[in-house]
Amino acid sequence: MTQTPASGADGADHHPEFDWEAVERSPEFRQLIKRKKAFVIPATIFFLAWYFGFIILAGYAPDFMGDEFLTDGLTVGYVLALSQFVMTWVLGWLYLRKADREFDPLAARAREAALGHATGNGDGSRRFERGSVETTEHPEARS
Amino acid sequence: MTTYIAAVNETALVVFAIVVGVTMVVTYFASKRVSTATDFWAAGRGLTGPQNGFAIAGDYMSAASFLGIAGLIFLFGFDGFLYSVGFLVAFLTVLFLLAERMRNSGKYTIADTLAYRMKRQPARAAAALGTLAVVAFYLIAQMVGAGVLIEGLVGIDFWLSVALTGAFMVIYIVAGGMLATSWVQIIKAFLLMTAAIVMTIWVLAEIGWNPLDLFRDARAESAEGEAYLKPGLFLDTPLDTVSLGLGLVLGTAGLPHILMRFFTVPDAKAARGSVMWAMALIGAFYVMTTALGFGARAILGQGGEEAAGPTGNNALPTLADELGGELFLAIIAGVAFATILAVVAGLVISASGAVAHDVWSNIVRHGRDSEREEVWVAKIAAVSIGAIAIGIAIIGGEGLNVSFMVGLAFAVAASANFPALLLALTWRRFNTAGAVTGVLFGVISSVALVIISPTVWPGPDSEGGLLSWYDLANPGIISIPLGFFGCWLGTMLAREPAAEAKFDELYVRSETGLGAEGGTGLTLTGRRQGAREVAATTTTIPPV
Repeated sequence: MTQTPASGADGADHHPEFDWEAVERSPEFRQLIKRKKAFVIPATIFFLAWYFGFIILAGYAPDFMGDEFLTDGLTVGYVLALSQFVMTWVLGWLYLRKADREFDPLAARAREAALGHATGNGDGSRRFERGSVETTEHPEARS
Repeated sequence: MTTYIAAVNETALVVFAIVVGVTMVVTYFASKRVSTATDFWAAGRGLTGPQNGFAIAGDYMSAASFLGIAGLIFLFGFDGFLYSVGFLVAFLTVLFLLAERMRNSGKYTIADTLAYRMKRQPARAAAALGTLAVVAFYLIAQMVGAGVLIEGLVGIDFWLSVALTGAFMVIYIVAGGMLATSWVQIIKAFLLMTAAIVMTIWVLAEIGWNPLDLFRDARAESAEGEAYLKPGLFLDTPLDTVSLGLGLVLGTAGLPHILMRFFTVPDAKAARGSVMWAMALIGAFYVMTTALGFGARAILGQGGEEAAGPTGNNALPTLADELGGELFLAIIAGVAFATILAVVAGLVISASGAVAHDVWSNIVRHGRDSEREEVWVAKIAAVSIGAIAIGIAIIGGEGLNVSFMVGLAFAVAASANFPALLLALTWRRFNTAGAVTGVLFGVISSVALVIISPTVWPGPDSEGGLLSWYDLANPGIISIPLGFFGCWLGTMLAREPAAEAKFDELYVRSETGLGAEGGTGLTLTGRRQGAREVAATTTTIPPV
């Protein structure tokens, strides 16, 4: 085996050939972040609220959680616990659908915009070979 | 329980041998193919979303989930199910905040993301500390659990059970790296789901197919009556319940062996798909813990409490014996054994990344070592960590109080790793000093709070802790804010323009996948067409 330098040795490879700041300011990227935040922030607040509502009730209102729900044997606590499972699956599914339909196309456009800004090696392929940057000084090493 | 030893010994041994045999065949195939560092730590990034979903489920659900939660429900009713809920909801944190970003920005370890825009040595050291602390607590708990389980169910001595578990774990990693580890986890997830489904159907058949009778019969069989279906029998301090919930729901997003799994898929789409698969499997499993735990209570009744033991860990094996006799008990024991093997292998390969990739390659060798050296060091690290874990588990022995250790692992993950990772990805101003301070605050506060808690001090199951006013067994509600506060404080005390300047790169990369690491297209049965050629490095590295 040849003694190839471990390109992973200083962590992830950096790509100075892209103008990252320009991409960050590009309308495509801004749009991606805006759309993502519009889903992820409310969804995160919702699931944390629903989950901690449940946990706080379990801690501080055990009698309420033990109340019968509709039929003997089924408790409010158990129904709320099951609702956490349903919530997790539904939110996960909604996120995946959003990501496939909205986020991925926007991310692809942001990447294409980056190729326009690239100072060289951008050849239109989506994943970039690391050969072009192996000789570059690592930013971590500079600091 | 001791009554099983003579009876079950040989059948269980055969089942265990089958489990080991199948995983060794997988490891053999993997060992032929794993060569580069990307193969070793990330299985060549060639796993599909569904495969990685099964592997995450296999990595995540430990014997504490299978035997522990069923046992807690058997003994304490509703409170046991609280764990099931927290363990699942936690994956929303992973999906929304970290899964795709980790895939896009990382390479082998969580330090790759944390240290991306920071000063290499201190940031890597902090990330390695967070990883190794989580792995240490989690691993020891699993090893002691494995010893107790195997000794009880098969009749092999505790020390030998621990040593064998550790030895198999090391063989998977050293010979087959992440590829073997992943497939061991996939097989285990399949076995665990099958066992849970079979037992659930069997339990429902026993009680007459009406799921509501699970609760009614269980309540009737419990000395606690109505209270059995209410919270509070096990978790009797309300604030502690909330603290536990916080630790569970944020801790999963800081577990290095889970986050590392996102490096094994080709892209962010596969990463989020794998979380969805994992949520489906893990959720279905935890719903079934209702049937396993309440079913054990309904069928075994109070008479089963002695066999279940003080922790309830043997409730499920006892139920299996009651339902299907010796053979079924042996099969369930074999599944539990596979469960432990898959989890410890995942833990140790993530620790080997922290030692070889973060500490050795980046801190000691300043990134000047070869990839070959890195993989060698990883294998030596895996053997050493395995040996240390075996040693501690055997010296500590069966009496080692491990009940707090899994909780502590989650607390460290939630308080140290999660804040630092999240802020590295989202807060421009965040810097090396913040990462180091945050991880230190998180690790030290979690460990210190658990040491003074009633779980540990002055002895197991003591009534009060070191401080009379402090009675939390779960430190999360204090240590997680402290972790975030540490991140903020360190950041404010230092200015690091270089870290801020690199934020755009990490931000764009983590959100879009631009510049993300490619794979080698490795699969268990052969390399895929169109995979990046790695012919220059395909010489197999001999196992240590």
